[in-house]
Amino acid sequence: QANNGKPDDYVYFDRNLKEFSEGAMPKAQSAQLKLEHYYKIAVDSAVERNTRRVELERRLQNESMMSEERKNRQLQQLGKKESNFLRLKRTKLGLDDFRTVKVIGKGAFGEVRLVQKIDTGKIYAMKLLKKDEMLKKDQLAHVRAERDVLAESDSPWVVQLFYSFQDSAHLYLIMEFLPGGDLMTMLIKYDTFSEDVTRFYIAECVLAIEAVHNLGFIHRDIKPDNILIDKDGHIKLSDFGLSTGFHKQHDSSYYQRLLENGGNPPGHGNPSNARNSVMVNSINLTMTNKDQIATWKANRRKLAYSTVGTPDYIAPEIFLQKGYGKACDWWSLGAIMFECLVGYPPFCSENTHETYQKIMQWQNFLAFPDDVHLSREAEDLIRRLITSEDRRLSVEQIKKHYFFYGVDWDTIRRIDAPFVPHLRSITDTSYFPTDELDQTPDYSGADPNAASRDLAFLGYTFKRFPAP
Amino acid sequence: SPRTSPIPRPLYLSRPFVEAALVKGNFKTIVMLPKYVDIMEWVAMNIFDFYTNLNEFYGVIAECCTQQSCPTMMAGPTLSYTWINQERKNVHLPAPTYIDYVMTWIQNLLNDEATFPTKSGHDFPQTFPSTVKHVYRQMLRVFAHVYHAHFHQLLHLRSEPHFNSLFAHFLAFGREYELLDMKDVKGSSSAPVGIGQLYDRWREMGILEG
Ligand SMILES: Nc1ncnc2c1ncn2[C@@H]1O[C@H](COP(=O)(O)OP(=O)(O)OP(=O)(O)O)[C@@H](O)[C@H]1O
Repeated sequence: QANNGKPDDYVYFDRNLKEFSEGAMPKAQSAQLKLEHYYKIAVDSAVERNTRRVELERRLQNESMMSEERKNRQLQQLGKKESNFLRLKRTKLGLDDFRTVKVIGKGAFGEVRLVQKIDTGKIYAMKLLKKDEMLKKDQLAHVRAERDVLAESDSPWVVQLFYSFQDSAHLYLIMEFLPGGDLMTMLIKYDTFSEDVTRFYIAECVLAIEAVHNLGFIHRDIKPDNILIDKDGHIKLSDFGLSTGFHKQHDSSYYQRLLENGGNPPGHGNPSNARNSVMVNSINLTMTNKDQIATWKANRRKLAYSTVGTPDYIAPEIFLQKGYGKACDWWSLGAIMFECLVGYPPFCSENTHETYQKIMQWQNFLAFPDDVHLSREAEDLIRRLITSEDRRLSVEQIKKHYFFYGVDWDTIRRIDAPFVPHLRSITDTSYFPTDELDQTPDYSGADPNAASRDLAFLGYTFKRFPAP
Repeated sequence: SPRTSPIPRPLYLSRPFVEAALVKGNFKTIVMLPKYVDIMEWVAMNIFDFYTNLNEFYGVIAECCTQQSCPTMMAGPTLSYTWINQERKNVHLPAPTYIDYVMTWIQNLLNDEATFPTKSGHDFPQTFPSTVKHVYRQMLRVFAHVYHAHFHQLLHLRSEPHFNSLFAHFLAFGREYELLDMKDVKGSSSAPVGIGQLYDRWREMGILEG
């Protein structure tokens, strides 16, 4: 029988949820999402596997001196590695596959521990992130995309991520352990660096930031805490894809309110007229008074652990929310360079909202103290980084700046670093402030909305194809 | 005119549902054994994933699959699967019980290091191929029951493109690695499996290959 011109096996079906429980549709949607994700990954992995094989086959084809037997062995080795990787995908990794050696760091959303994988004995850094804290911010999707690409990157300038897994309360990232600590800890210890030492770290940061930009990302939150030191004393940027954008202070709506509120933190009344005079006073106080700087330094680590975070290194255009480009990371680098040479960051203040105000009016507040000697080159570079976005140097210009005279950009990662960590064992944590950290594991209970929340973290479980 | 069959065409064989698919294109890309890769690892991982995904979707319609709605494990108008009990007797079980047994059994196998090894240095047992065929056959029955008894519920929940693709992938994979017996897919002439016709339709439509 004709069915409105449709073929006779065509059926109209009236969809409704009358016979179902309330939870049925969400459950169905969850299953659908998971399957979509599954097929996306299945196709991506097939493509990647193929790429790895074709690359090896092509390389071997060009090896005219290599025996067929050896070529064959290499192909079989790739197959073995791919097979092990398939096995890893079946392996359910969980917290109990790792033994905690020590808590080595704290961040806004959880902590970082030194752990050992029980079956292989290998050492890793494990970052725990509290899901509900992360969900309170709305940038999850955006941040996840960043992490996905970084997870795939093999750049020597970015901390490698090996596995990630989750339970109802936490997300766990298993990363390579960098035993040398971070630049913040080093600055607390040494106060300032010589220009040669600064040149080394800043030059390495230039390459690291360039690598991140080449991956298509803008970091936005480069600071000494995120610059980690490997066993040879070279730097890597920590897995920032997850941490950026989350801090309360970096939350764009927070800053929006701050802006609308005449620069006073939300919820703190608005003392009219007093604004300008207060700021003028604060320059003199903060920039010349050693006690103020000492207070800032004493609080530096606490600031790093707090969910408030520090805005000291953030470029003004980020706060303005009118869009920003790669250039914002070069501003941050300028602020870090200033700190390396001067001992504190250029806009440091007693509280974050003063810092914020100084950054917004950097023209009035960027000052080089008289009692610290900086070379002309160093000061010039800083002034060309801490400047308006349109005048800031590009990466090519930075590399050619005369502060970096003599730097060999192609080999810097292979030369001897100024400080090489002295390590007594693979689990040596002497470069971490472990005494200051609460060593009791930071677990918070699961929560009733766990199922729907887990869905938000669907893309997070990750296993890295082993590096060659 | 010839008498038409009294049994209406099942919804899963009707358009547009028979064509609904999440995954378009050829399953070959994700079914084919990657070059140089161990076939056991490939099959093991895929079984693991089929189980996980099937479990997820059965979980969705489980509230509709009860002792009352499904007192036996039907997969066609005249086909009801039996379970072999401890006395080696064929017994009829309510579908939810049957499926619970199957899924628990598979879950335990997947977690068993001696059957599905995950630690480095552990090899697959000699019996792995036959075990896997067994697993495949039981998973096929779960698919067959869901299509036969619960497809309309999947429609209400707008899940048919997903479930169809999962099943088509399952069939394509099973054919490629000879994990499926045609007689399990089609059943006998007196007790055909509902999804046997679906298999044929999908082949005609090119969703599945020859
Ligand atoms: N892979 C690693 N190896 C060694 N130490 C690490 C590693 N990752 C992080 N740490 C330590 O833990 C501290 C906190 O880590 P991180 O800064 O990544 O966390 P976070 O505070 O959540 O992120 P952020 O503050 O950048 O938003 C670092 O300053 C560093 O000392």
